[in-house]
Amino acid sequence: MIRHHPEDALMLAYAAGQLPAGPAIVVASHIERCPHCCQRLQAFEAWGGALLETAEPAVLQPEALARTLAAIEAQDASPRPPRVASPARAPRPALPPGVRWPQALRGCTVAPWRWVGPGMHWSRVTVPHAPDSNLFLLRMAAGKKLPVHSHSDLEMTQVLYGSFHDGRQHYGAGDFDGADDTVHHQPVVSGDGVCICLASVQGSLLPAGRIARVIGRLVGL
Amino acid sequence: MPRALRNSSMTTAFSPSDWPAPAARSRPSYLSIVTTNPPSGAMPSGDELSAWLHAVAAHQDRQAFAAVFKHFAPRVKAYLMRLGSSEALAEELMQETMVSVWRKAALYDAGHAGVSTWIFTIARNLRVDQLRRKGQMLTVDGDDCDADTLEDSAPQPDEQLSIHEREARLRDALRKLSQEQAHILRLSFFEEHPHARIAQELGIPLGTVKSRVRLAIQHLRRLLGALEP
Repeated sequence: MIRHHPEDALMLAYAAGQLPAGPAIVVASHIERCPHCCQRLQAFEAWGGALLETAEPAVLQPEALARTLAAIEAQDASPRPPRVASPARAPRPALPPGVRWPQALRGCTVAPWRWVGPGMHWSRVTVPHAPDSNLFLLRMAAGKKLPVHSHSDLEMTQVLYGSFHDGRQHYGAGDFDGADDTVHHQPVVSGDGVCICLASVQGSLLPAGRIARVIGRLVGL
Repeated sequence: MPRALRNSSMTTAFSPSDWPAPAARSRPSYLSIVTTNPPSGAMPSGDELSAWLHAVAAHQDRQAFAAVFKHFAPRVKAYLMRLGSSEALAEELMQETMVSVWRKAALYDAGHAGVSTWIFTIARNLRVDQLRRKGQMLTVDGDDCDADTLEDSAPQPDEQLSIHEREARLRDALRKLSQEQAHILRLSFFEEHPHARIAQELGIPLGTVKSRVRLAIQHLRRLLGALEP
């Protein structure tokens, strides 16, 4: 049961194609396993469609249709390029049995787990078209506490496995923890297993966010 | 042949004569993407649009394609220009979008989304791809929702309402929205830096933009009643 979803303004920005790569990938990793947000996305896309339909038209170049039809014909006439087999995926760090990699990470390189403190591992995710994205996985052992922090809207987390509790709410696999501007809390990994999250922090100056602090302090980002 | 095609001569250059003239070249001011309907009869219905796409898919019907093109190509171009593409790039991406419409017409599922929504997502994804090629940091993928795996568990509150009915209600709700809120939503989709622009145009601090966007979303959702996302 997924209880925590990306908020409206974030979903709208995603549907509009306006999110930077890191946040967009975290949001996509939520949507792909959340039927509710899948529907929300479709609804917001329909808003985009309705606005497109009523947008004031631009003036096209002369012969725009003819040139488009010519482009279609040219494609039809030229032999299809042979399908290039996608390169073998680089090995990724191990996940617990039964946990699938989010589709949203396809094309991304995921570094091996790196020890950053007792019970804590970190893995950088590199987005080929946006190598500056601060996107990473965190793996935390049961009972681990993260530093007290305040949220910023530049930080978001999708729980891939396990769960944590932030003193008010429980976040389990599939839940999204995102912008909630003023909350201070201290998440504690719950249950008897590890918790694995995909997280994104925006910007080169790290905000005082939870993940940012952990990573910033332990990894020297 | 679709009804609207019979009387229209399918020329390749579209004079703007039957549309309001585009705004002046200077940066358009408040409410520059108008929601006023074009002259009556000019706006094809959702049924017409899906019929045209079907004709393109089934027998490469060029006249049907031309009708889709006539309605959407100038709007797709306008959309791309609003998002910061140069005129030439917008024309190129518009063409790419319309080529995709031709290619993918058979994949269009009228039970899943309206034609305008479908074309919006194609244009959006092509723009994002183009930014990726330039090394800019945007990403969105069109196939987030895997209908096969999600369908069973997804709640279906409005299965009885067809896509066209939903679209009609959405258009109606957008008309009922206050000008300011409609503008906020438009800028959210059709501005390169929507939050900065909203702050500037509404004269509000950047930090409060997001809550204004949320309010606009909530209001539209209330107007849509059971159709909310």
